[in-house]
Amino acid sequence: MENLIVLKDIVVKFDGEQVLNSINLEIRDKEFITLLGPSGCGKTTTLRIIGGFVEANEGDIFFDGVRINDVPPYKRQVNTVFQKYALFPHLNVFENIEFGLKIKKMPPKERSAKVKEMLELVGLKGFERRSIDQLSGGQQQRVAIARALVNRPRVLLLDEPLGALDLKLRKEMQTELKRIQQSTGITFIYVTHDQEEALTMSDRVVVMKSGNILQIGTPQDIYNEPINAFVADFIGESNIIPGIMRTDYHVEFAGNSFECVDTGFDPDQLVDVVVRPEDIKVVEADEGMISGVVKSVIFKGVHYEMLVEGAGEDWLIHSTVASEPGTLIGMNILPNDIHIMDREEEPVLSEQKEDGNED
Amino acid sequence: MKISRSTAMPYIIWMIIFTVIPLILVTYFAFTDGNGTFTMANISEVKDYVAVIFRSIWLAFVATVICLIIAYPLAYVVSRASEKKQKTYLLLVMLPMWMNFLLRTYAWMTLLENTGIINRLLVMIGIGPFAMINTQGAVVLGMVYNYLPFMILPLYSNMTKIENRLIEAAQDLGAPSRKVFSEVVWPLSLPGVMTGITMVFVPAVSTFIISRMLGGGSNMMIGDLIELQFLGNAYNPNLGAAISLGLMIFILLCMSMLNQFNEEDKEGMII
Repeated sequence: MENLIVLKDIVVKFDGEQVLNSINLEIRDKEFITLLGPSGCGKTTTLRIIGGFVEANEGDIFFDGVRINDVPPYKRQVNTVFQKYALFPHLNVFENIEFGLKIKKMPPKERSAKVKEMLELVGLKGFERRSIDQLSGGQQQRVAIARALVNRPRVLLLDEPLGALDLKLRKEMQTELKRIQQSTGITFIYVTHDQEEALTMSDRVVVMKSGNILQIGTPQDIYNEPINAFVADFIGESNIIPGIMRTDYHVEFAGNSFECVDTGFDPDQLVDVVVRPEDIKVVEADEGMISGVVKSVIFKGVHYEMLVEGAGEDWLIHSTVASEPGTLIGMNILPNDIHIMDREEEPVLSEQKEDGNED
Repeated sequence: MKISRSTAMPYIIWMIIFTVIPLILVTYFAFTDGNGTFTMANISEVKDYVAVIFRSIWLAFVATVICLIIAYPLAYVVSRASEKKQKTYLLLVMLPMWMNFLLRTYAWMTLLENTGIINRLLVMIGIGPFAMINTQGAVVLGMVYNYLPFMILPLYSNMTKIENRLIEAAQDLGAPSRKVFSEVVWPLSLPGVMTGITMVFVPAVSTFIISRMLGGGSNMMIGDLIELQFLGNAYNPNLGAAISLGLMIFILLCMSMLNQFNEEDKEGMII
């Protein structure tokens, strides 16, 4: 796949404060890419750079190989689904969707046909004459998507579009968006702080923190091979335990020596060991590599969430079987489920290093 | 329900004493003669002053249009400025209103006089003097100067409610600045425009101080006419009441027309 949008060394400052620290990002044609991170990480700013609403203080942005730093938003082949939708309150559903086509002076008949087609795509047939404030959040959301998509942009920017919806509707819309993306073949750049959303929908995920890109990869990469403790913790819950990498394939933590699959660390290097809560197997007390006492059990629907104290650490465990609080249990971790990370603060990853990260 | 009604009582009493009763009195005076017997004479006499009435409407209309032209871009710029700057701009708009209305109008008198500061300056650079005081232009100027804040403030408060993201959305959908204005900003600001027009036109059409001080005797307006009937030489409160009633009905008609237009416009935009 070709690169459609390239951000090169983009720096953005607001009131002297650096919001983006030299961002490098390549976005491929027709992919669903998600910018993921906590609030204030710069993900929305990155999106607004692409939309043309924020000017970069340094760096270049290329669209299809052409530098577009100075191209105003209305001339870019990009449309946006704004946070909280930004629908025009003085126009009805039909007119909102028609807006972009009307600006481009498309003849009314053609316009009307396109709007109808879009309403069908987003499942709002028959809502043409409704005014915006008569719509539910989910319906407004669909209008916002239709209003952007009807222009057939090369790229659709989505700024936390599902944030205001309830859980069930959000799940539906996730599937819907993915379906629309695949059927239209438009590149989607999606901004969210919801890791689950990012993992479900994206072809690639860009994890950001404090104006830096930490990791870029497929959802599987990001989940299974997080580059550092922050990513591991942000993408799902994690147990992060200090450890020492004795030699290749051997790590020491929680007072025990474990076999693992990681190589390439210095001998006796201090590392962070990351273990997913669902990867800790609960066994009889005398059969486990680590033993601990159950402190609390919470029923979460699909699984139980247990907090276990053992070997001087607190362990978060997701298990389908619950143990009574106060009981002594054993815990086992398979070599494949032990993830070793350099113990350093927020290593800055640029795109070039994307495939070369050791783990 | 009970609470809201009782808290509204002071206002209701106020309204009854100072609005409803005077209105009834005005109506009573308009339809009676000096002895208190019913007559239509006052009402029919109003038509003798059609010229004055039309002049008032015309001058107030011109002043309102000029106010709108000045205030609209200004209000827009202020509403898009940073919060700190907005406060400063608003202060500058309000500043003249801290000074007494009469004083402000007197100041314009001395400025516009045939031997006033402006004319003296013009003579110094070799043009003029011009007859500025006692013209309709001076009256309009006085009205624009005094009522401009009443146009700016409703426009500003309306425009601050137009969210930036709507403007961005329009740009995003391909609209250049001109289209952003005509398709989004203007239609959304119409309620503010309507309020502004009302706030300027109504006091302007019934003003009497400005027209007397800056317009001289030849540019009498309805307000002057009414004042003459109550306090002036032409003392005839019954006629004054009739003219007041006529003016009131005219303003009510204008307002309902404006509202009609506003609603129709909304409809028009939906179709």
